[in-house]
Formats: sequence, C-alpha cells, structure tokens
Amino acid sequence: MGPREKLALKYVLAGVFWLGVAGIEGILMRLRILNLLTEIYTPEHYYAMMTVHPFVGIYGWAYMAVMGAFYYLVPVVLKKDLYSEWVANLAWYVMMAGVLITWLSGFLFSYSPLYTLYWPLPVVEYNGIQQIVFGFGSALIFISVLMFFFNMFATIFLPQRGAGGAGYVAKELLTLAFNLDKLKAKTKGIKEYLPRVNNYPVFVVGVFRGCVDTTLNAIVLLLVSLTIGVYGITEVLGNELSPSLIDPLIYKNVFWWGLDLIADGNVLIFTAATWYFLVPLLTNQPLFGENVVRSVILADLVISLFVWNHHMMSDTPQPLFLLVQGQIFTWGELITMGLTMFAVLMTIWRARPVEYSPALLAIVLSILGYAMGGSAGMIQANIAMNRYFHNTQWVIGIHGHIQLLAGLSLTIFAAIYALAPILTGKEMDRRLSYLHIVLFFVGAVVMGLSQGAAGAAGMLRRTLYFNGEYAGYMTVAAIGSFLMAVGFLIFLYNFVKTYGFKSVIEVLKP
Amino acid sequence: MEVQWAVEMFYYSLITTYTIVILLFIYKTRKPPKISTDGGVHQGMDRREKIWMYSLITVAIIGNIIFFSPLIPSMQYNIYLDEEPVKTIVIRMEDHRFILPEEPIVIPLGEPVEFKVYSEDLTYGFGVFREDGMLVFQMQVVPGYENRLVWIFTEPGNYTIRSTEYSGPEHPYMYIEDAIVVEEVG
Repeated sequence: MGPREKLALKYVLAGVFWLGVAGIEGILMRLRILNLLTEIYTPEHYYAMMTVHPFVGIYGWAYMAVMGAFYYLVPVVLKKDLYSEWVANLAWYVMMAGVLITWLSGFLFSYSPLYTLYWPLPVVEYNGIQQIVFGFGSALIFISVLMFFFNMFATIFLPQRGAGGAGYVAKELLTLAFNLDKLKAKTKGIKEYLPRVNNYPVFVVGVFRGCVDTTLNAIVLLLVSLTIGVYGITEVLGNELSPSLIDPLIYKNVFWWGLDLIADGNVLIFTAATWYFLVPLLTNQPLFGENVVRSVILADLVISLFVWNHHMMSDTPQPLFLLVQGQIFTWGELITMGLTMFAVLMTIWRARPVEYSPALLAIVLSILGYAMGGSAGMIQANIAMNRYFHNTQWVIGIHGHIQLLAGLSLTIFAAIYALAPILTGKEMDRRLSYLHIVLFFVGAVVMGLSQGAAGAAGMLRRTLYFNGEYAGYMTVAAIGSFLMAVGFLIFLYNFVKTYGFKSVIEVLKP
Repeated sequence: MEVQWAVEMFYYSLITTYTIVILLFIYKTRKPPKISTDGGVHQGMDRREKIWMYSLITVAIIGNIIFFSPLIPSMQYNIYLDEEPVKTIVIRMEDHRFILPEEPIVIPLGEPVEFKVYSEDLTYGFGVFREDGMLVFQMQVVPGYENRLVWIFTEPGNYTIRSTEYSGPEHPYMYIEDAIVVEEVG
C-alpha cells in the first residue's frame, strides 16, 4: 500500500470512528427523550451532547470520509500527485484535534448552545472557559477544511507539462467550471472549445465547485468560532465585551448563509460528483448527459448562495422580499437534484443488465434517501408551511436525518465499498455488505419517518418532554436507530474481518 | 382537515411512489433490454431529459403558486387579510420566562388577533398548541425586534404556549398550559 492509499484510508477510518461516536450519542439521546437514564443524564448533558452531535457527525464522519476519498481520487483522476501530502497529513491531525476538543467542550465543560449558536446565547449563558474551549476546537475544524481546500485547488491548478503557467491553467479551469467553454465555442464559430490543459472530468469540476461552497462556509464558521473564543478570552481577562455589539438578526443571516453552503451546497455538489464518478466506474457505462450535468453543478453552486432564507421563514422581522427570494431559489434545488438523479439513473438504465454490487445498491438507495428527505424539505421550506413545521421533529427527522443518513451516509458507504478493494486489493464479504446497507437504510427511514410523524403531531425538536408526550413515535424512532446501529456493527465486523485489526493500526501509524 | 395531516398524507403518497419506482428500477435494470438501447454519449440534452426538466420546472411553479396562495391559512392571515385585528396581545420573554399581560388572554373565535412578542435577552420561539399537542402556529422571537403575527382561531378551547426555539437547557420548561382561551362571541 502506497502513501496515497494510506492517507485515504487514514481519513476514512477516522470518519468511521466518528460515525460510531455520533451513533452512540444518537442512541443515548433517543433513550433520554424517552425519559430513560434520567438519574445519570441531566438536561445539561443532553443539550451538550446535542450541541456536539452535528460536529461529530458532519465534520468527524462525513467531512473526513469525503476528504479521504477526494485526496485519493482527484490526483488519480488527473494523473498527478497530490500537491502536498504533508499538508493533507497535518490537516488530518488538525481535524481530529478540532473534533475532539469540540466534543470535549460538551462532554467535560457542558457547553450547550447547539450548533445553531443563535446570538447572544453562546456568550451570555456560558462562562469564558467554555467559550474558549468550544471556539478553539471548532476553529481547528475549519482551519483543517481550509487546508483541504488549499490542497484540492493546488492539485487541480498545478500546471501540466506544456500546458502553460499556473495562471493559464486557472483561467482554463474557470472557463470549464463556469461553462464558458460553450460560449467560447459559439463566439469562435467552432464545434467544441478544447483547452490545452486537462479536459477536466465532471467529477473534478464537481469537487472544484463544491470546494467553493466549502471554503465560504469554513470562512464564515471560522469567524463565528473566533468571535466566541474572543468573547471567552475577554471574559476570562475580566474585560467582558458586550453581546449587543452584534445584532442577532444580522448575525443569524450571516450564520445561515455560511452554514447553508454545507447543507444546500457542498453536500449536494459533492454527492453529485461522487455519483458521477462511481456510477460509470461500477457500470462500465459513460455518464449520461455529461455536458448537462456540468451545467447542473454550476446551477447548484449559484442556487446554494441564495437559499439561506429558508431557515428564517419564521423570523417575522426578516424583510419579506428576502423570504420570497429564499423560497423561490430553494425550489431550484428540486430541479438541479432531479436532473442529477435522472443522469445517474439513466446511466444505470443504459448499462442493463446490471449486477448490483454493494456500492451500486448503496448509490440507488441513497438516491431514494435524498428524494425522501429532499421532498420533506421542500414541503416545509416556504413561508406558508414554516408556521406549522419549523423547529418540529419533521425538520430534523424526516428531512435532516433521512437526507444525512439514508442519502449522504449511504453515498459515502458506496464510495468505501467501491474504493476499498482498489486501495487494498481485498473486497469485503458481499452478503454482510448487503445486510449492512439494507439495515442502515431501513433504520434511517424508520427513524426519520416516525420523527416526522411526531413533528406533524406537534412535537418540537431540541425539546425534552417530561410527561410521556409523543412517546409512541419516539419508541419507533429508537427502534430505527437500533436497526442502523446493528447495520453499522455488521459493517465494522466485516471491515475488520476482511482487512485485519493489524492493518487498521498500521494505517493509523504516523 | 388540519394542514399537518394533509401534508403528511401527501408526503406518504409521494414517498410510496418513489419507493415503488426505485424497486421497479432495480428489478428492471437487472434484466437485459428487450431491444438495444441507444448507446454513445449525448452532447446536447436528451429528449427524455428535456421532458423531465420541464416536468420539474412545472412542479416548482405549481408548488410556489400553491404555497404563495391564500389557500394555506398562515398566508391568508398574514399576507392577504384586509381586516384589522380585533385585539393585540403583547407578550414579553426574558430570563427563560413568558411575561403575559395582566388580564387573561381571551380571544374571540373566528376573529383576527395580533400577537406581538418581544425578547429582552435571547432568541426564543413563540408557539401556540392545542390541547392534543398539535401546533397551531409558531414564530421566532428575535431580541431587539418586534416579532408580529396575525392569526384567526377556528376552534374554541384552551391553548398552551411554549417556546419553540432552544435557548439553553432551561428551554424545555418554557411553557404555560392553558395560557390562551378561545371563546365563541355572542
């Protein structure tokens, strides 16, 4: 195994570890919401866990797994070396430290403003030490993300022999990224404009465009982390800053603009890029409508910059025109994601007869997961319906968790099942892999749907109920989460059985 | 029928359709095609893809028309209503507590009433719930701003108010049962 393969596996293993942590947290929270473990598990613990849960799940699991895959795939696809393996290795440590410290801010210091961090909650209800620990940990996470961005861009932009300087490569890449090649072909009266640099595959264009969102998101959230850290430091030094220096509504706009570049930007774009890479590989069929999907990824990037208002539909001081704009742009995601799914499914259709490997099955089920979660999102992401669904279990269960678990996580598992044999030369047991995928998907859907039904019946998210309200729904949700946990344990067993515990330790050694 | 139940029924029909389509897709794609399909790479947009794209655009347009229309009560009350509210209820929120008006909140059935909610410290939420736990409406309560909403109650009874936005570990205790009474007039 070469250093490139080792680097990718190191990231993926770390991701799987954090998914396990997020899963344990999820099950503990499911039990607490059923009013079990109340003697040892106070509301303070519950909310501290809920605060770090998305950091562990998104950055620890999803980001690390995706980074590992892209650190490997982008150089392989471009037939180049990664710009800096040293930076990629350093970014691994920075991310691990960041997620661990953020997690400790909850576990040891009970910091619990939730990931929404609505101003001024993060700085007025908690002491300076809590703020510093959280601010430092989350800042490290976003520094690692920026290191990833630097490495990806440098790898893609690095000049090829005979291709001109870095400036020329950058210009040509932007030409492709923003579909200006078609415009150039038209103005020059030629059939197709072919730049002298690499004809970048659609997968790399997807990574590049997703990185734009990722970077903007990391900058905004890094500023939020640093702000919280600075407030903490001034409090510890006895020279407290006033929370009124920051307007809560403007802060909320900036925060959601930045945060939504993950949810509605890089998740959808990176997912699309991964499908576009894996499906032709698994079916031995060229991607259907490649030119169209290049435009679709661009549309996704543009749309992702204008959808943050769907998180603010219940903020009545927010100007109406912003809410209207947010609602209309959000419907754009239906069109882009619908076209993405169509291209992927048509590619599979044209490859008939298809043998459904675990990776391909995971992709098709992830498409179903995104369709289910996305539709629930469309239903509530408008001014009218937000009055009835905002901050209910509908949002986080049927939309958020089905999208993240049945959609995004199964896409990542598809990449692991497809790439692990390439990286290691060994394939995991297929029957166990199928069992894992089906249990994980069914568990995620059962959990999400029962949460959604609870939300429609009036149950709020982020709220403990003490008198057994909605207990039936939450019991079914807990069963769903246990199904997922069993699926995940089968995956772990299969992984260790195939590759051996020693190999896992070997990969993690510096 | 409540808005939430209508939405649920629609949503379940939708995802049942998705699931059937995907299962059929898996079944069909495991078999060889009866006739040879078109191979090669499309440079432009395929006819089927165009039809699909126009269908998605149509769904998006219809969806927006419905959600911007007065068919949904929340839009009707807050965008299209010409009548002036017959009553204004002012509520303040501070230190994880609701500060209600001195007089009990009694609301006439079927008449528009205005809620103005202010926060003195944190971002909270203001939600009104029926006795069976169903959410009637909610809004965010942003500190330093007037948070205003108009509603028409269509069922008499007692209603609970609850903060719908997390504001620290004391958040789940932020509710007052039977804070609002809706009565038929005359």
